[in-house]
Amino acid sequence: MARVTERWESRRDTWLFAGCMLLSALALLMPASWGMTVASGLRTTALAPFVWLQERAAEGRTSRTRFRAVASERDSLAELSRTLSGLVDENAQLRSLLDLTVRTGPGFIPAEVLHQTLPTDGRTLLLDAGRAEGVSALDPVVTPEGLIGAIREVDQHTSIAMTWAHPEFRVSAVSANGQVAGIVGPTSTGDASRTGLEFRAITYRDTLPDGAVIIASGLGGVYPRGVPVGTVVGVEREQMGWERVYRIRPAAQPSVAGHVLILHGATPLRIPAAFAVKRDTTDSAAAVAPPAAPVVPEAGTAPPMTPADSAARARRRRLRADSVAAAAAAIAPSTPTSPAAPADTSGAAR
Amino acid sequence: MTSAKAANRLQLTVALGLLLFLQFYVRPRLFDGRYAPDFVMIGLVLLALRSGPGMGAVAGFLVGLASDALSPARFGAAALANTMVGYLAAQTRAFFFADNVLVNAGFLFGAVWLRDLIVLVASGSGDQGLATSLLIDAPLQALTTALAGTVLLVLFGGWFRIRLDQQ
Repeated sequence: MARVTERWESRRDTWLFAGCMLLSALALLMPASWGMTVASGLRTTALAPFVWLQERAAEGRTSRTRFRAVASERDSLAELSRTLSGLVDENAQLRSLLDLTVRTGPGFIPAEVLHQTLPTDGRTLLLDAGRAEGVSALDPVVTPEGLIGAIREVDQHTSIAMTWAHPEFRVSAVSANGQVAGIVGPTSTGDASRTGLEFRAITYRDTLPDGAVIIASGLGGVYPRGVPVGTVVGVEREQMGWERVYRIRPAAQPSVAGHVLILHGATPLRIPAAFAVKRDTTDSAAAVAPPAAPVVPEAGTAPPMTPADSAARARRRRLRADSVAAAAAAIAPSTPTSPAAPADTSGAAR
Repeated sequence: MTSAKAANRLQLTVALGLLLFLQFYVRPRLFDGRYAPDFVMIGLVLLALRSGPGMGAVAGFLVGLASDALSPARFGAAALANTMVGYLAAQTRAFFFADNVLVNAGFLFGAVWLRDLIVLVASGSGDQGLATSLLIDAPLQALTTALAGTVLLVLFGGWFRIRLDQQ
């Protein structure tokens, strides 16, 4: 009798094991989007108390051990910002002289990283800020040192960031002097904690010295220009004499990052919006009623404008607007037309 | 006898709850980085050693699913790894004195290392990264987990001593 029971238990154990293995294999093979949906559901229901507990722990650690570091960083920034106001004024004056609109930078949402114990923890990070805090998908994630990655999944109070160690990560980058542009991605061989970065698609004639700083170029519309990505530490490989791939030491390490900033409102780059010229009433009037006859100047104003001058001016405006529109289309072909675009289109018609 | 069983199960439940608290509150406060001990793995191995292979596999699957949800690099990799670890931990207790503290520490070390191996392979790490992780990172985390497990067993050993499959 005991042997029968033992055999039944053994068979039950085998079936349970086989069932769990089958379910695991199904989870592994199902599409990534389904996996993300299941993971999101688990995080917001069964695991919500544990995530909440870990958030409290991360907050406690931040307040306890990082207070001094944050205070010293704040002091340094306060010192730096004393000189910044002058630069801001100067920049505003220069933009005003060039008739450029005010460029608004992205805001940010601070978040704690809730590290897990899996070896793949550095590829994706669980952050304690979500939709309720204003986070949305594809928001860039940075630390004071540099780029970490971008938001991949957003829940109500948590989000998942895909870091640069993830195999699918790519960022359009450029050297700090702006002369060499390419694509940065993780090395093909590497794990979450040891992965480095590669600067690819560099033409053979372009060379970068060791120590050159690589920053995000702003192209692609996800990462804002100027965020440090890493530093060149050597040539990884040369392909067929037409491309050089450089090895990059990442600026920020996801596996040790404890506190990050989610840049919010870093809207996709729209060249027409960035270079939008302030509306000029004279120009608008000209657009409505193109001068058919020479304009008679008032006394004491600029010299009279001949029809040839007006035509040349209109042609220059058209060319400028067409160039801007073409550049915008080349950069973001699938991006829907921005609200600023109609203004430029009307400018083209002028 | 029934009340003794209930008390034992209550003790085990409290011990597992304590491990969850250590994992999600104490570990993030005290340790920074991925060499921190994995208290959930300690709970899984001790539970598997004291229940049976089937229960170990189910517990491993649930723990792995939770790990996948919290660190979704490749969904399903941790579920697969923890299912195997839970099942194998319960199977191997037949060959060792599972009540010995050092044997338990050895189980914990092996379990963390095996879990990392399966997770890295299933989630598609490159050869070079796999070697680095398995020779440096995984042993260090396995060591801290084994040490933490030993301390917990010395302190709360009686709470884990019951055999769930023989009650």
